[in-house]
Formats: sequence, C-alpha cells, structure tokens
Amino acid sequence: MSDATIPAEGLGAAFRTQLRVIGALTLRELSSRFGKENLGYLWLFGEPALLGSAIGAIHLITGHTMPGGLDPAFFMVTGYIMFYLLRGVINRAPGVIYGSQSLLYHRCITLFDIILAKDLLETAATMFVMALFLGGCWLILGKRPAHIEMVMWSMLLMGLFAHGVCLLLAAASIYTEVFERVTHLFTYLTMPFTGCFYMAFWLPTDLQRVALWNPTLHIFEMMRYGLYGLSVPTQFDQPYVLGWIVALNLLGMAALRAARRHLVI
Amino acid sequence: MIRLHDVSKSYRTHLGQREVLRGLNATFAPGEKVGILGRNGAGKTTLLRVIAGVELPSTGRVERRMTVSWPLGFAGAMHYNMTGADNARFIARIYAKPVAETVDFVREFADLGAYFRLPVKTYSSGMIIRLGFALSLAVDFDCYLVDEAIAVGDSRFAARYHAALTERQARSALLLVSHIPDVVRSYCSSGAILDNGRLTRYDDLDEAIAIYQAA
Repeated sequence: MSDATIPAEGLGAAFRTQLRVIGALTLRELSSRFGKENLGYLWLFGEPALLGSAIGAIHLITGHTMPGGLDPAFFMVTGYIMFYLLRGVINRAPGVIYGSQSLLYHRCITLFDIILAKDLLETAATMFVMALFLGGCWLILGKRPAHIEMVMWSMLLMGLFAHGVCLLLAAASIYTEVFERVTHLFTYLTMPFTGCFYMAFWLPTDLQRVALWNPTLHIFEMMRYGLYGLSVPTQFDQPYVLGWIVALNLLGMAALRAARRHLVI
Repeated sequence: MIRLHDVSKSYRTHLGQREVLRGLNATFAPGEKVGILGRNGAGKTTLLRVIAGVELPSTGRVERRMTVSWPLGFAGAMHYNMTGADNARFIARIYAKPVAETVDFVREFADLGAYFRLPVKTYSSGMIIRLGFALSLAVDFDCYLVDEAIAVGDSRFAARYHAALTERQARSALLLVSHIPDVVRSYCSSGAILDNGRLTRYDDLDEAIAIYQAA
C-alpha cells in the first residue's frame, strides 16, 4: 500500500511508528481527560462510590440479603466498576471519530490508533479504580480478594471485548448517525443482562445455559471467581470469551479499514 | 517525489454522487514549487487533502516518495482544547522529533507570546495559522501542502514564512493552492490549473496565470 505514512521502510519501522503514535495519543488523552483542569477523574471514582453507598444503604434499611450470603455493597460496586468499563468504551464509540478529526490530519495516525489509545486508557483507569477499591476493602475491612490477578485479567478481557464492539460501532458511525442515537439506550437496556448485578448460579439450570451464551457474563463470572474464589460457584469458559474478542476485533479492524475510505473530514 | 495515479474523488450527497477530482495523473518532484490555481469549488482543498492522505481517493492511488506535510490552512491538525505548547509536544512525539527543541522552535517561530501557554481555542485565526505553520516547519517535511492561508497571515509573518521556505529551497517542495495569481507568483516557480476536476501542469508559471485569467 503506498498510502502508507513515510516511505516504506519495512514492517518493523511501521510497527515502531504505530507504537510511538499510540504512546503519544495515550499521553494526550491522559492530560485532556484526567488533567488538573479537568475533574473527569473524580467521577471515575465518584460514580461507583455513590452507587455502592446507595445500594448498601438500601440493603441495610430493607434488611435484604443476597444469594450465597454475599455482601451487597461489595458485590454491586465491583460489578459496577466492571460495567463502567464496558459502558464507557461502548458509549463513546459512535462519536469517537467525529471528536478526533483533527488528529486525522496527521497521516501517521490511524483511526485504529486513536480508538486503541482511548480504550487502553479507559481500561487502565478502571483497573486502577478497582485496585484502589479492593485495596481499601483489604485495609479497612480485612477483606482480601481470592485471586487479584484474575480480577485484573478479567478487566483486561472486558476492555478488549468492549474495544472490539467500539471498532465496529465507530466504523458504522461513518455511514450512519443511527448509533449515536441508540447506543446509550442500548447499554442501559442491556445493563441487567451483562452480568454486573447477578451471577449465573442464581438462575435455574436451563436459564443458565441461555444466559451463558452471553460473553460478558463469562467475564463477570471470572471477576467474581477472582474476588470470591471457590466460596461461591462460578461458571466461565475462557476460550469462549477469547473467541468473541478475536472475532469482534478482527471484524472491527476490517470494518474500520473499509470505512476509512468513505470518511469525509 | 509524489505521484498521482488516476486519482478520482467523489462524494455522496443528497443530489447524488458528485465527482470532484476526475482521474488526475501528475508528478511533483523534490524541491519543486508548484502553484495550483483554481476557482472556488474547483476541488483545490480536496486535492490537497487527498495528496496529504487526510482523505483517501475513491479510485486510484497516491504514491509518496518523500515526507509530505498535512494540509496547512485555516483549520485542522491542532487540538483546540490543548495549549500551543502541548500541541507542539504532541506533534514532536508523533513525528519522532526531540520534544524540548520542537517546543522552543515553535514558540520562537509562531511568536504567540503568552498565548503559547493558553488553549488554542482562545487564539485568533491569524494566530492559529501561525501556530500551524510553525508546527509544520518544526517537523521539517520534504514537501509542504499549503491552502491559501499564507495570504491571510499578517505581512510580517508572511515574510518570515517566505524566508523560512526559501531557506529550504533546495530540499523542500511546495504545493500551494490558491485562487489568487499574485500569491502563487510570490512563492512558486511552476503552475497548474485545476478546473472541472482535471489538473493541467505548466512549466511556465506566467503561462499558467495567463490561461487561468483568460478563462
């Protein structure tokens, strides 16, 4: 392809350019989203914290308990932080290209780089919030996650899954504005089904089989295995999740590449 | 060198497909200063965008054998919520230039005073153009694509920019699109006319201007 950036110097040089660009984009995104003049980072902590306290209060007042004797506030907050990652990445997808047009004046920056930088940062930021929350629970309540590395691995998988969906939605946004209208609605409507507020073992067996077609439920189950270990039953299939991630990302990259030709800046 | 191979560009509109560029073939050699003349709506800006790779041709291809700047003009290429200095840092990083030197150069050349530390959205349009040129000169491209804008910057800046480009005469090529023959004459040594989606090259700039003005 002679549409490439700098005169062709081989695959290695192209790869180094891409790494450099993604690094620069991530730094730029970091300062614009979490810089000192912007309180965006506060909400990253504020929203799950508010939700957690509200849910905790409701359960305390009603005296309601959860299946398996789980602590409701802990369960909801960890679920919500993971959902926050999924929702954050997907909701931004339809507007991501329009909001980054000035970057595309630089030929070395591709749509893929822009989206990857944003999604990586979102994933890292949410992982940081989770680490802080779990660290706080450990220090204050003495509650230690069974497998912290499994929690973080599941968050990385959620980030990659959402990134694949994001690529597809971003590519579609070049052709139609429909997704700008319906994506938020869709993420709210599907929220109860993602797995953020329930576990597979709460469902009757035949319903479990249907629910486990949903890849995000597997990711939430992985996180809960990381949090609770074997003290609660979890069901997940990592190759199934990885299959979804690879398929979504490959399709997303192909769609984005095809759509780029039609993008008017 | 830059080579256009049968480059066409059309846009889908409510009135159907509009073909802006129709099968352009052209070669621009290193160091060449080409003024591309065309009326409003002739497709000058589209041509620069396609050469720069901001937009891709509908059919055909653009072959680049030298580094090519982004299209320099009124808008684009900068992040409006970031300061001039942060924009310089970002440009340095993506084009693999030393960050501190780039920031110094841009501060010096753009001459924005205290505004260099303020977000670009607070700039006047003249200041934005100055920043854009300074950023592009800091990267040091083999070929600069310029969209009229030179005529808009104030005369003091125009003179500095002219000097900076002249200094690079031997290695930097320039493709300047404009509808004003005088602007083209002061920067370029050969000409081309973009009309009805087709590009015609003239080795003699005066000939190009005469034909453009007669049409």
